[in-house]
Amino acid sequence: MVKNNANMVDVVKIPNVIYIYLIRYILEPDIMIDVVGTKTIAGVSNSGRFARFVWQTITASTWSCARSRTYPLIWTQMLIIGVRSVPVIMITGAFVGMILAVQAYDQLRAMGLEERLGVLINISVVKELGPVLAALMLAGRVGGALTAELGTMNVTEQIDAVRSIGTNPLRYLVAPRVLACLLLTPFLIIYADLMGIVGGYIVSVLLKGINSQAYWSFSASGVELWDVAVGVIKGLFFGGAIAVISCYKGFTCREGAHGVGQACTEAFVASFISILALDYALAVIFKAIYFTFWPIRSLVG
Amino acid sequence: MKSKNSKVKENNGSRTSRVGDKDGMFRVKNLTKRFGSNVVLDKISLTIEKGKTTVVIGPSGCGKTVLIKHLIVLLRPSAGEIYFKNQRIDELSENELNRIRIHYGFLFQGGALFDSLSVAENILFPIRQHYEITDWRDIEELVKVKLAMVGLDGFQNYYPANLSGGQQKRVALARAIALDPEAILYDEPTTGLDPIRADIINELILKLQRELGVTTIVVTHDMTSAYKIADRIIMLHNGKIIADGDAEHIRNHPHPSVQQFINGQVSEDDLAILRMSGTISKAQFLPRDFEH
Repeated sequence: MVKNNANMVDVVKIPNVIYIYLIRYILEPDIMIDVVGTKTIAGVSNSGRFARFVWQTITASTWSCARSRTYPLIWTQMLIIGVRSVPVIMITGAFVGMILAVQAYDQLRAMGLEERLGVLINISVVKELGPVLAALMLAGRVGGALTAELGTMNVTEQIDAVRSIGTNPLRYLVAPRVLACLLLTPFLIIYADLMGIVGGYIVSVLLKGINSQAYWSFSASGVELWDVAVGVIKGLFFGGAIAVISCYKGFTCREGAHGVGQACTEAFVASFISILALDYALAVIFKAIYFTFWPIRSLVG
Repeated sequence: MKSKNSKVKENNGSRTSRVGDKDGMFRVKNLTKRFGSNVVLDKISLTIEKGKTTVVIGPSGCGKTVLIKHLIVLLRPSAGEIYFKNQRIDELSENELNRIRIHYGFLFQGGALFDSLSVAENILFPIRQHYEITDWRDIEELVKVKLAMVGLDGFQNYYPANLSGGQQKRVALARAIALDPEAILYDEPTTGLDPIRADIINELILKLQRELGVTTIVVTHDMTSAYKIADRIIMLHNGKIIADGDAEHIRNHPHPSVQQFINGQVSEDDLAILRMSGTISKAQFLPRDFEH
């Protein structure tokens, strides 16, 4: 009866629904315990399934690396995932550099530091914004396509067909996609970085009239090879996360057009959050590594 | 119609049928499958004889597809045992199962052709996965032979999207026989096809059984197809086997659910529900004001 009332109110105004459910939970705490318990069990079980999928993907990818027969599958995925993403990644990178230049120019000019714009733009692009925005773009372009493709294969029983033929679908479908994403995301980040630097240069030097020599000399003094390397290495983690999450969502998607659509949305949201969380974790780790090894580097140098 | 199995048995669900027969290609012992609290298969026991055509019939949602998917361990049982040639397979790992599955051919309800691959590549797929190809001329010939067996030679370069439903099923059948399996499992092979194309599939099933001598298991609710191809018919109802025997036995089976199913009649209970759900009255149409 309460449920019927809730459904009826649902259509009219939402706050009443919350009120009804709150009252219901207070009057019948066993329902709340049931809901919380069910959701907790589902969450733990999903995490376990995902961890198992990641482990199986790692073993399948290692197996694929050792078999030259699987290389054509990896080349094909590299073309689809990597090569065809180059234009959109370059455009993203260019706009990142240009926007940074436009936004930072006035701030630095007010302090008479506009010639240092190069270091600000280039370090932001190669260390953070280039890798993160390129990865987010890939999560949308590649992750969505991977989930939709594998999800459709799942609901049309094509994945079961692969299994029925005596082939491990993780080796045939997942490993080539994960390896392609893992290996090519760092290269795509280099493209994004390059275009970010070019975009920043065009706005700063050609449009805002900053001295070119000063722009590059400040950039060279502020940006180290370490900064570029950190950005590129992040790409390995971002690429792996995008591919594994997207493939998992495709493999576990529910039936029907709604199921595939929902899986794509979930894959993008999960990839987006993972990229940001990984970026934070990697920033902390790389900073610790940098400060640990910096003194040794100066001694060697 | 094919020669009939003289052995006629009845099974009231929990009773085992021919489980002790060691010559069976497949043996299922007390197979139970639950999805949450829903029991789809309830302690099913049966033996599928080698070289024979066994047809599993039953109303939609009775667990026919779930049963056939257990035979190839695409689904794992909640309880019970599954044997293939006296080897227990339901406990094997996926890698171990892959070595068993090359002895099977499975025709999925929708064909499940790989839509990014051409017809020839679909048929080649199982071969490429399990054998090192050295001579491509032999392989082309093999694809040609497999397609000729299903009457589609010349369609090598077509893609699944360019084929009709019947043609897709025939290509899927050619893929299922690519590795010369010992058993072919068909999941609703005639569903969605017109009567003529459905009969083509029936003839193909008979032809493959005759020429390759394979053990055939067909899941269907098409009684014309079942009568035509079956050596043995098993009927599932509410997760249990309620009838098991040759076509004649099924035709004369006293169980009301069997008679209702084979004659395609709606039950009195269902009719009562339809009557209770109301009558079509003017109230169910839009008011005239809403028409324009």
